[in-house]
Amino acid sequence: MNLQLGFLEELILIILLMKNETNAVEVVKEYETQFDQTITLPTIHVVLKRLEKKGLVRSFMGEPTAERGGRRKRLYKASHSGYEAAQYLHAKRNTMWQSILKPE
Amino acid sequence: MKYRRSMAYPLWLENLLLKLLREDYSDEIIGDMAETFYWRSEHMSVRKARNLYILEAIKSMKPSNLKPFYHYSLNTMIFRNHIKIAIKSLFNRKSISLLNLLGLTFGTLAFMIISLYSAQILSFDNFFEGKDRVFLAYKERITPDGTQAAYDTWLPMSARLRTEYTQVQAATSHFVGSASVIQGSQYIAEEINYTENEFFDIFSFPLDQRIAAHPLPKQNAIVLSQEMAEKYFPDQSPMGEELRLYMAGNDTTIVYEVSGVLAAYPENISIRPQFIAQISSLPFYTEQANEWDGSFLETFVRLQEIGQQQSLEAAFPDLVEAIWDRETRENTNFRLLPFNDYYDTFLGNKSSARILLIIGIATLLIAAINFMNLSTAQASQRSKEIGVRKVLGALRGQLSTQFFVESILLALVACGLAVILTILIIPYFNAFFDVSISIGLFSYLQIAGFLLTLLISLGVVSGSYPALYLSSMNTIDAIQKKTKFKGALGLRNGMVIMQFVIALFLITSALIIRNQISFMTTRSMGFEGEEIFVIESSLSSFADREEGLNKMTAFKNELRNKSYISAISSSRHVPTAWSGSHVFVRPQGWEGDPLRMRYTFMDEHFFPTYDIPFKVGRNFNPTEGEAERGVVILNEAAAKAFEFNLDEENAIMIGNQRIPVVGVVEDFNFESLQNEVAPTLMFNRRSSHPAHARISIKMEMSELPTKIEELEGLWSTLGATSPFTGSFMNNRVEDLYQEERRYLGLVTMFSTLAIVIACIGIYGLTLFLIERRRKEISIRKVLGAESKRILQLIVQDFARWVVVGFVISIPVVVYMMQDWLNSFHYRIDFSAITFIMAFGIVLLLVTLTVGYESLKASLTNPVKHLKDE
Repeated sequence: MNLQLGFLEELILIILLMKNETNAVEVVKEYETQFDQTITLPTIHVVLKRLEKKGLVRSFMGEPTAERGGRRKRLYKASHSGYEAAQYLHAKRNTMWQSILKPE
Repeated sequence: MKYRRSMAYPLWLENLLLKLLREDYSDEIIGDMAETFYWRSEHMSVRKARNLYILEAIKSMKPSNLKPFYHYSLNTMIFRNHIKIAIKSLFNRKSISLLNLLGLTFGTLAFMIISLYSAQILSFDNFFEGKDRVFLAYKERITPDGTQAAYDTWLPMSARLRTEYTQVQAATSHFVGSASVIQGSQYIAEEINYTENEFFDIFSFPLDQRIAAHPLPKQNAIVLSQEMAEKYFPDQSPMGEELRLYMAGNDTTIVYEVSGVLAAYPENISIRPQFIAQISSLPFYTEQANEWDGSFLETFVRLQEIGQQQSLEAAFPDLVEAIWDRETRENTNFRLLPFNDYYDTFLGNKSSARILLIIGIATLLIAAINFMNLSTAQASQRSKEIGVRKVLGALRGQLSTQFFVESILLALVACGLAVILTILIIPYFNAFFDVSISIGLFSYLQIAGFLLTLLISLGVVSGSYPALYLSSMNTIDAIQKKTKFKGALGLRNGMVIMQFVIALFLITSALIIRNQISFMTTRSMGFEGEEIFVIESSLSSFADREEGLNKMTAFKNELRNKSYISAISSSRHVPTAWSGSHVFVRPQGWEGDPLRMRYTFMDEHFFPTYDIPFKVGRNFNPTEGEAERGVVILNEAAAKAFEFNLDEENAIMIGNQRIPVVGVVEDFNFESLQNEVAPTLMFNRRSSHPAHARISIKMEMSELPTKIEELEGLWSTLGATSPFTGSFMNNRVEDLYQEERRYLGLVTMFSTLAIVIACIGIYGLTLFLIERRRKEISIRKVLGAESKRILQLIVQDFARWVVVGFVISIPVVVYMMQDWLNSFHYRIDFSAITFIMAFGIVLLLVTLTVGYESLKASLTNPVKHLKDE
């Protein structure tokens, strides 16, 4: 399995897997509450576009809401191969963790 | 949900995003940003949320998010068509396009090289940060005739300034002394910059390596330049290494520890240290540290703020009184020389660089004028094309864009060529003129910006006339070639005259500079240097002083035995090699202030060897023990300064010592003729005295190589640490004017280039003028005009322009060259012959350039040009 996933890509993929359908704003919220660190929207947008190109994420336009000044949102959903990719990485990491030595 | 007004993000940013972003992205991005903003402003400050919003907006405006570029750009099809037509029309008129291109390329090339050269000089010392606040403290003697500046100051001066005044942020003493680096059994003479701790606070030399926060952390620390680090510590780190310096003057060796290596520094700075050490490491320091009698070093200060120098200078008289007494206060003062003026005061002359820069601009101007003239001339022949285009519905804007595109295209090619040529030529230029210019002086961004401005302004200026005038012509007039160039004619004549003014200015200036240099090299300096050979024979070339003295005497005896040497003299200085030593002196019986006067030592053979005639009195007489007892010989300038009556017995007083004057010699120049002969005291020392540093010998000027080889062989048996260094007086005199000669070379080269460019332009213009008058010439010939008359018809216009240019150029030359000539004490005056010669040269060049084509035109068969109607 050829996986060229950056750290942020993997992280956002996992956040998407935690939710059903979600937009970039939710990702920002999740990220900022989890890590207590700000992240800018364009960064997320870029990563989402990249994930979509790799086929790990699918997107479609949602309905307009008042909070966003009547603009429609783009919703993202992790695809099946996205799930597999994240799981593969997770499993690999687990096996590797078992042989980790704690430094003094 | 309700939102308060203050909680809003910048709406204008949202609108901007809406305009710029791709439609399929804008909803998502803008909406997400708004939503995030509101969410954020609930748990962090609104300001922070707004800042994040702005950051996100900026980051969102990346190219891939924007609407496709062609929505904003012009229609590229028309543009591409313009370029196509431009290339085609340039190729259609190959000869004129080529002339145009050549002229412009050479002009730009000359301008770029000159700018690089001048920028290097005009930006001298800009390397040092905050140099506006750096000053050289110096003393000024107040005499009844005015003030006299002396730049040598005292060892305790820097400490005194530092502690006394709050305005002084840092102060340091500085002098350059020589010492020998001991490497194995070798003694290698080097120059050492002796300073104090705060040197690095005043001159911002960055360091590549250092062992402590301060570059000179202890008394025996030494900082090396990169060059020296590589020379003495190849392939190893010099940090913390030992460096042993031998001081011949005190016969001591001091061990230093390398504490830092300077980063590479540019060529164009006044202080170029190879070794930096502290004065306090020198043996004499402890006893001299508080002595205010010997002045031998420079004192630099850095002020807290710009503009404090006046208040500091105002406080100086009190300091002088505190150091010495009330009497000294009356005749001595301290002053501050801005470091910005250091280059002009000691090293060179920025006004030469300014004149060169003007020449560079003039050259570029000539090239631009050519370009304009030729483009205009050429464009007016294209009126039929313009007419047809108009008939086919071309708009005026399109036509003028067409011309602009053509001229900018040509300028682009010329600039490109010029850049390539500049890069290729610079190494040769540096080698030929012995300068060191480099493109590295500017950042690439600066160069690119400069070139772009140059290119666009050239293109726009030179394209403007055809673009604006021709495109406005009446369609039918255009097709019938009924072009009226009334306004254009005046403009063009004006520009051609300006070219001639510039050309005449350049030629006349070059001639004046050449005359001044030949005047200086041929004018007698007051002595006979024809057969004189000077050998550098300082005692510091010997490790052991006593032994050196003996060996030197033996060497001189050997020289005396040579049959081809007719005279031999030892002296401290020789003409062309002067280093100022000064002493305070009064004529006997004078109550006023002492004068500060230069002095030197020589043996009794000096005046006969150099054939310097005595005005009155006699030479030194060493048999009477005068060398020890002290008598003095003055030059005429000194006798005049003392107001001596030459028929009487005179004497001078140095302190309380009375020294009788035994003779007065006629003035001779120790230095270049740029300076007036200064009053000088000449004292006698025996030939073997250690004060002497040079041996002058007068020898037969035949079979020189074998003789010099013999001398060299003699020297090498002495065991001196420095190699045999000797030179003929004539060459030494020539070397004095190296700077001027280089300047002449530069001026001549660029003037020639400018004139070649002007000729190219004139040639092109002639082609055009003949083309336009073909029919007139033909009709005249049919009606019986002689070829001579027709030739005259064409040439006389140019001749008239040259005459007008000549008249205008005279005041320009006088105004510009006056300053330069005034920097020489012995100078030539403007002479009519120079101007007439320049006029003749230009007239000749113009006649030759114009003549050939005109002759061809006047000889052609008139039928050829009359049959086409």
